[in-house]
Amino acid sequence: MATAAAVDPSIVRIREYKKDHVDFVLENVDLAFANSFRRVMMADIPTVAIDLVEVETNTSVLPDEFIAHRLGMIPLVSHNCEEGMRYTRDCTCLSWCQFCAVELRLNVACNEMVTMDITSAHLDVIGPQPGSQNWNEDDGGEEVSKRGEDFGHTLGKNDPDTPPVLICKIRKGQELRVRCIAKKGIAKEHAKWSPCSAVALEYDPHNKLRHTSYWYETDARAEWPLSENAKEEEPPRDDEPFDYLAKPNKFYMDVETDGSLGPQEVVMRGLAHLQDKLANLILGLKTAGEDYVPEEPAAANGGPDGPGAPAGAPAGWGGGGGGGGGGGGWGTGASPGNRGGGGGWGTSPRAGGGGGGWSPGGAAGGGGNAGWGGSNASPPAGWGASGSNASPAAGWAASGSNASPAAGWAASGSNASPAAGWGANGSNASPAAGPGPGWGASGSSPGGGWGASGGGGSGGGGSGGGGSGWGSSSSPQQGQTNGWTT
Amino acid sequence: MGEPTPKIKILQGALASDLSAATYQIHDESHTLGNALRWMLMKNPKVEFCGYSVPHPSENHIHMRIQMYDNLSSLDALLKALSDLDDLCVTIDEAYQKNLQEARYERWNEES
Repeated sequence: MATAAAVDPSIVRIREYKKDHVDFVLENVDLAFANSFRRVMMADIPTVAIDLVEVETNTSVLPDEFIAHRLGMIPLVSHNCEEGMRYTRDCTCLSWCQFCAVELRLNVACNEMVTMDITSAHLDVIGPQPGSQNWNEDDGGEEVSKRGEDFGHTLGKNDPDTPPVLICKIRKGQELRVRCIAKKGIAKEHAKWSPCSAVALEYDPHNKLRHTSYWYETDARAEWPLSENAKEEEPPRDDEPFDYLAKPNKFYMDVETDGSLGPQEVVMRGLAHLQDKLANLILGLKTAGEDYVPEEPAAANGGPDGPGAPAGAPAGWGGGGGGGGGGGGWGTGASPGNRGGGGGWGTSPRAGGGGGGWSPGGAAGGGGNAGWGGSNASPPAGWGASGSNASPAAGWAASGSNASPAAGWAASGSNASPAAGWGANGSNASPAAGPGPGWGASGSSPGGGWGASGGGGSGGGGSGGGGSGWGSSSSPQQGQTNGWTT
Repeated sequence: MGEPTPKIKILQGALASDLSAATYQIHDESHTLGNALRWMLMKNPKVEFCGYSVPHPSENHIHMRIQMYDNLSSLDALLKALSDLDDLCVTIDEAYQKNLQEARYERWNEES
C-alpha cells in the first residue's frame, strides 16, 4: 500500500461535465474507496419516485400493475430531496402529507380514431393541497420551503428538447385515470429511486494487474478493443514482467444520472453520504451504545483484567474511563469508588462496600436491600433509582438474588458510560416503565439510558423502516380503486 | 427483541481483554463502508490484521475484525480509521470542487 494520498494535488480531474453526466479521473485512492463511492452514488442518495398508485379507470390494454410499475420508474425532479422531503416513516402524519409525499394525477382519454400516446407529460402535480385530507396542518416543518419550484414534477415538462417518457398507448374509447403518490426513498430499497442511470468505474484498462482474464479465440489483444481510458496509461511492453505488488491507483468514473438529480449533486451528495455513514458509526461508538457482555459476567467482571476499560479507550466502552481497570463491567464508570462490593456482580478491587453489588448509586433506591439498590449515595443513581421509581416490588431492586437477574443482564449488556449508563436509565425510566416491559421500555424514554445506548441517532429501526412501503400498499385497496405499489 | 439494535458492538467470541484484538459488529452497513474502512485500517502500521465480512446476506450487518500490534487498542485504530476516511472524503470533495472551478471541460450550469 504505497500510495500516498493527499500528496498529489490532482486527486480529481474532471474530463467532461455535461447536463446529465460527469466524467472524472480519481487518483491516489484505493479501489475499496472508489468502489464505496460508486456504491453510495448508486444506492444511497434519496430521490422522489411514484410509490403508490390508485387506479380509478384503466381501460387500456395494459394491466394495472404493469402501469403502476411503469409510473414508478419515471424520474421526477428531486433537487435537494435530502432536505426538502421526509421519509414517510419519519413523518408525523398518519399516511402521507405535503412533507413526505407529492401527489400526481394522470387523466387521459382518447376520443378520436388515432393511437394516442400517454406520456409522463400528462402527469400533473396536484397536491397535497392546503386543507385537503392529506394536508398536515399541525407540523411546522420547513421542508417544503427548501424545494425548487418544479420539485416532484416530471422531467422537462415544458421543455420541447426533453422528450417525455411513454407510459402506454390507447385507442379510441380507452381511458387511463390514476392518482399517484410519490415518496422519498433510496435505491437500496427499489432501483426506481436511484438518481443514476449508470455509474462507470474503470481501472487498469490494459489489464496490467491481471484482475481479469480475457476469453479469446487466438489472440486476446487482437480480439479485445481497448477502452478510451487506455490512452491515459502507458501500454505494457511485451517484455514487461508481471508486477504482482502493483495496486490500482487511477480510476475512471463516469456518473450518468436519469435527470432527477444533476451529476454535480449526485457526486456531492455521494461524498456527503459517505461521511454521514462514518459519522453515524463514530456516534455509535461514542454514545456508549455498547452491549458489552462478557459470556461469564461474574468471572469477567471480577477478574483483575476485566474488559472494563481498555487502556486509553475513548468514552463509552467498558465503563468509560473511570470505572475501568479492575472493576469494569456493571457499575457506572463515573464513580469507581462507589462500586458496590458485596454482591457477586460488582466485585471490585475498589469495593465501594455497598450492600448490593449492582448499584453504585442508589441513595434513593431500594435502600440496602437486595442486590440492586446499593447503598452508596450518589446522585446519578444506578439501580437504586430504578428501585425507587418503580415500585420496589417489581423493579430490579426487588430481585434480591444475583443469580436470577443474571440472564436479564446478559441480554441487556453491561458497560455503562458515565453519561448513559444504568443510572441514567433507571432515573429516566418512568416508574411505570420500570418494572413492566423491561429495558426495552426504558429505552424509549427520551435521551435515556438504553434508548441512547441503542444508537438512537441512527433512527432506531434503521432500514427496517422500509416496511412501511409494503404495509401501506394494502391500504388503498379498499374502496373502489385498486392500489398498487410500484 | 424490544431493544433497538446498537449501531456497533463487540462480539465476545474472540476478544482480547485489552481490546487489542476484537471483532466489531456494525449494524446497518454493508460492503460500502466495510471495504473502505478495512482498507483505511490496514494503512495503519500498528494494525496487525484487519478483515471484514458480511456474515449473511439477509442480516443487515457486517463484522470487522481488528488485531493490533503491541497490545494497542483496536478501538483507537477504528476511530482513527473513521476520522481518516472522513478526511479523505473532505479532501476529495475539495479536489473535485477545485477542479470544477478550473473548468477545463465542457460546462453546463445546473440550476439549484
